[in-house]
Amino acid sequence: MDVVFEQYFDFGIMGDEFGFVLDGFWQTVQLSLIAGALSLIWGLVLALLRQLPGKRFAPVRGLAIAYIDAFRGIPLLLVILIISGSAPFVADGLGLPRSVGIPQWFGKSDPFWYGTLALTLTYGAYMAEVYRAGIEGVPRGQMEAARALGMSHGRAMRHVIVPQAVRRVIPPLLNDFIALMKDTSLVGVIALLEVVEAGRTVQSETLNSSALTLGALMFLVVTIPLARIVDRYIAHEQGRFQRGLATT
Amino acid sequence: MLELHGVHKRFGTLEVLRGIDLTVHKGGVVCVIGPSGSGKSTLLRCINLLEPPDEGKIVLEGKEITGGARADDLDYVRRRVGMVFQQFNLFPHKSALENVRLAQEKVLGRSREEATEKAHDLLARVGLSDKADEYPDRLSGGQQQRVAIARALAMDPHVMLFDEVTSALDPELIKEVLDVMRELAAEGMTMVVVTHEMGFARDVANYVVFMDEGVIVEEGPVRRVIDAPREERTKQFLGLVLEH
Repeated sequence: MDVVFEQYFDFGIMGDEFGFVLDGFWQTVQLSLIAGALSLIWGLVLALLRQLPGKRFAPVRGLAIAYIDAFRGIPLLLVILIISGSAPFVADGLGLPRSVGIPQWFGKSDPFWYGTLALTLTYGAYMAEVYRAGIEGVPRGQMEAARALGMSHGRAMRHVIVPQAVRRVIPPLLNDFIALMKDTSLVGVIALLEVVEAGRTVQSETLNSSALTLGALMFLVVTIPLARIVDRYIAHEQGRFQRGLATT
Repeated sequence: MLELHGVHKRFGTLEVLRGIDLTVHKGGVVCVIGPSGSGKSTLLRCINLLEPPDEGKIVLEGKEITGGARADDLDYVRRRVGMVFQQFNLFPHKSALENVRLAQEKVLGRSREEATEKAHDLLARVGLSDKADEYPDRLSGGQQQRVAIARALAMDPHVMLFDEVTSALDPELIKEVLDVMRELAAEGMTMVVVTHEMGFARDVANYVVFMDEGVIVEEGPVRRVIDAPREERTKQFLGLVLEH
């Protein structure tokens, strides 16, 4: 049993490399927050495009559906690789400035921004499906009441449907955020020194996995409270729902 | 002020309305009665274009609203026609006051002050001054429905459509909603009311339409249709409804 403890819980290594692993985790957190926020927005845009009414918007709906299906069906790792491998050439070929092909905005490296783009493209598609479930879960009478009051489809969406839909989908969106946070580790393959890559570096130097265990603990410090928040929120909403039923 | 000529509505192969002709005069209260599935609700929904008719013509205050440029028609109709639904359809994330205020600001462009004042006036009119800040899930069904009426009235409609507005209510709450509607009628509001409340129809309506299977079977002044129906199907239906 000692060997297990040594390999995974060597407090000496953990202590020595704590700062290095924490720097990696800070990259992970930044990447998660930025890609998470962008995915929330992009997912909502996709979901709204998918809900546009009438024949006129059928092509837009079709494109939105095709996009969502495609990005839900492609591995994130593959998206990361095709973006990082070709973005500089594509941007150059299209005559875009170098800072677009090899973005290093706000003091962040280009792998960071390639990772942000790949995560946003992929998780936007997942979150679009979550929003869609929320929008379609709002009773039809809500849209009818809004339209009967003279609101356009867009106004009704903005003031009546989306606010209710978002409330319903906060738990699944948080779950998607947790999944996104874990998937940021894939950006390590294009040389972003996030927490997993940092742990791996230490692992290959020391032939010991304790730095990775440390990284895992850092993840848990964030993801477990998030999971508890989701549970609390669901319980709270169910309470509300049951009260709602009692009064009608 | 409202005329329907040969209105048809189909859902797939099911023909729900099969040629409806109807005239509603200004200040008139028309009650539409009939069995479930007779097309009463669809008729109301055609009038405000929630379900655009497949055939026929609807004329509102002298302007045809069917068959022209759709967006303009919708705007024209919904500024003149208010609707109240069986399931209230209040916005659950907004308080009673905000429910009544929202469309005034977003559709009519009224200022926050003006919309708030109007909302308070209307809530007072339906007897809910003290509930302005409550959310729908804290209100009884009857209270919710009265807020819904206030919300529709806030748009200054020329015609109000009521779609079985008491059918989802407990019996003891029905009266408070009907009383509000009685008052409205007394003030001269033009109303088209789909209802199973024969007492209300008898007291308030000046014209009754009996529908079955997508057509108007019988229509006329209240006393004539309800108390002395001529058609067999009307007699049958009224016999069933008035029995209990």
